[in-house]
Amino acid sequence: MDTNAIAIVVMVVTFLYLGYQGVPVAFALIAGALLTTTLFTKISLPSIVGQMFNGINQLEFLAIPFFLLAGDMMTEANITARLIRFAQVLVGHLRSGLAHVVSVSSMLFAGISGSMTADVAAISTVVMPHMEEEGYDPAFSAALVASASTIAAMVPPSIMAIVYGAVGNVSIAGLFLGGATPGLMVGIGLMVYSYFLGPPGLRKRRATLSEMASAARLALLPLMSPIIIVGGVASGVFTPAEAGMIAVVYIIVVLLPLMARGHFRRLPRDFMEAAVLYALPMSAVASASAVGWLMAYLGAPDIVHGWIEAVAGDNRVIIMYLMVVVLTIAGDFLDGVPAIAIFMPIIVSLSHLGHIHPVHMGVLIIVSLAFGLITPPYGLILLLSSTLAGVSFARALRQAVPLYGVYFLVISVIIFFPDVVLWLPRLVIPTSVGCFPNPGGAGYICPP
Amino acid sequence: MPVARPRVTVRAMRHLKWPLLDPLERGLMVLCALLLVGFTLVEVADVVARNLRRPWLNANEFAAGFFVWGVFLGMGVAVRRDQHFRLTAIAQTLRGARRTLVESFNRLVILAVALSMVVFGYRNYLTGYGSFLMPSLTPIAVLYAAIPVAGALIALFTVEELVNGWRHGFEGPEKVGLDPGQLPVT
Repeated sequence: MDTNAIAIVVMVVTFLYLGYQGVPVAFALIAGALLTTTLFTKISLPSIVGQMFNGINQLEFLAIPFFLLAGDMMTEANITARLIRFAQVLVGHLRSGLAHVVSVSSMLFAGISGSMTADVAAISTVVMPHMEEEGYDPAFSAALVASASTIAAMVPPSIMAIVYGAVGNVSIAGLFLGGATPGLMVGIGLMVYSYFLGPPGLRKRRATLSEMASAARLALLPLMSPIIIVGGVASGVFTPAEAGMIAVVYIIVVLLPLMARGHFRRLPRDFMEAAVLYALPMSAVASASAVGWLMAYLGAPDIVHGWIEAVAGDNRVIIMYLMVVVLTIAGDFLDGVPAIAIFMPIIVSLSHLGHIHPVHMGVLIIVSLAFGLITPPYGLILLLSSTLAGVSFARALRQAVPLYGVYFLVISVIIFFPDVVLWLPRLVIPTSVGCFPNPGGAGYICPP
Repeated sequence: MPVARPRVTVRAMRHLKWPLLDPLERGLMVLCALLLVGFTLVEVADVVARNLRRPWLNANEFAAGFFVWGVFLGMGVAVRRDQHFRLTAIAQTLRGARRTLVESFNRLVILAVALSMVVFGYRNYLTGYGSFLMPSLTPIAVLYAAIPVAGALIALFTVEELVNGWRHGFEGPEKVGLDPGQLPVT
């Protein structure tokens, strides 16, 4: 093993040791980078600390505080309950009705916050008690809520997509639109599983048209928020940060006065909480950027590139499956946001090797990392939902394993059919996936 | 009956905190919120100015400034509030001398990182006077300064916990399980 490989191993082992000892991730990462730099390289330590700054000094990241603030305000003002009520009248009468409510609510709420954690917290507190009353196994509820919440990582305004786009220089609008279909597939897959194999729950009567109209009316204004975000970004009128800002302004100027006037007193606290909340993933990104930069310096992309090339050649499908394995394992030990910053040089190198479209690869990576958050041993999102459901992680895990089938299916579909990811960006913003205007006539010419 | 107002300062693990630093934490929380408000207003002004066909060329500089300072100050205050994400909470399952050893080791690692941020961040700050933000030509040092400041805050809050932990013990009334506020935003 050459010195660079030893240095990489030392850095990874230091991070894992410190991380599992209980040192916060952001500090464990930078400690590993500083130690490795001192022992194995001639890089100056101020350069490593400077990389923390460079890692977050990107305009694309400006969107993240707004989406977190929007999600926080919607949850704290109890506006999300209207979305859940809307989901109830749509699918609550089906077999395993409340399980469908979880999936549909996650799809709706995912369009507001982009955060899986926020999704789990919001849906668990409202729906889980009703699921328990109807006889659902709390372990199944926890597994389902965790699985459904991963949709937030795939559909706009996914925070992982923003980080991936910013770090990898990939169109964020393309990732937003590219992730929508896989997100929808996961949601529908969970519904199909629940319908045929989930607990039956209590059969309820189908909502009347007037009940549906009433719920839709109440949910209409909150649902405008994702429409503003997606519409603004997709139309090219706003950058993701501006779309997020407009969503925040919309909530403060329209939603709160009409739906939760009393919440205005809490607004300063929302800002304080959101201000610290966005600093957390960003400080992890800052540290992970330094680690990713050092990994690239030490030649980690070339080493992994060599391993994967030896196994897969330039076969796109095998490369992508290997990346899924690597990223799912990484997601088991590391949060998705810093994992993206660390692995980006490797991802870029392998995308070139397999001639894989950056948006296609980006969506696959995001889905894999999201999946890693509900698999053991780390399974952070599953851990959170099992805590909120009051069951052990092991019990929730047993119920989650069959749901993994949905992810295997969606991941395979993404790998074998790139158009599942690329059709929507090509249709709405062709330039986001490398298409260019046809010089000889109408329409766009897109790379294969 | 008067309703108790929720406190801004952290309530958990009070035996590891100096009340003297509560106003600092409160001030930092308010400052972070003001940075977020300022950042929001800059984005609003940028969009409005652009639509009025009088683009505000400095908007991105201000937005980046608010954002970077917000991230690093937030990183600092999150140490006192114990909001940084950890892979495990092994230390909280231990008791006695082993607990003291692990908790001390973890905080000494954080302290070392914090001091590195102060020392090396300060050197970056000094070199930052040679690079400039465009188009205002403001030295980028105004942004680099956030790193040593955050390092100093992290060091201060870590020393607070170390000293109190050694004096009163690290064990305290702690809640078991996960709190969404203490998880990474994924």
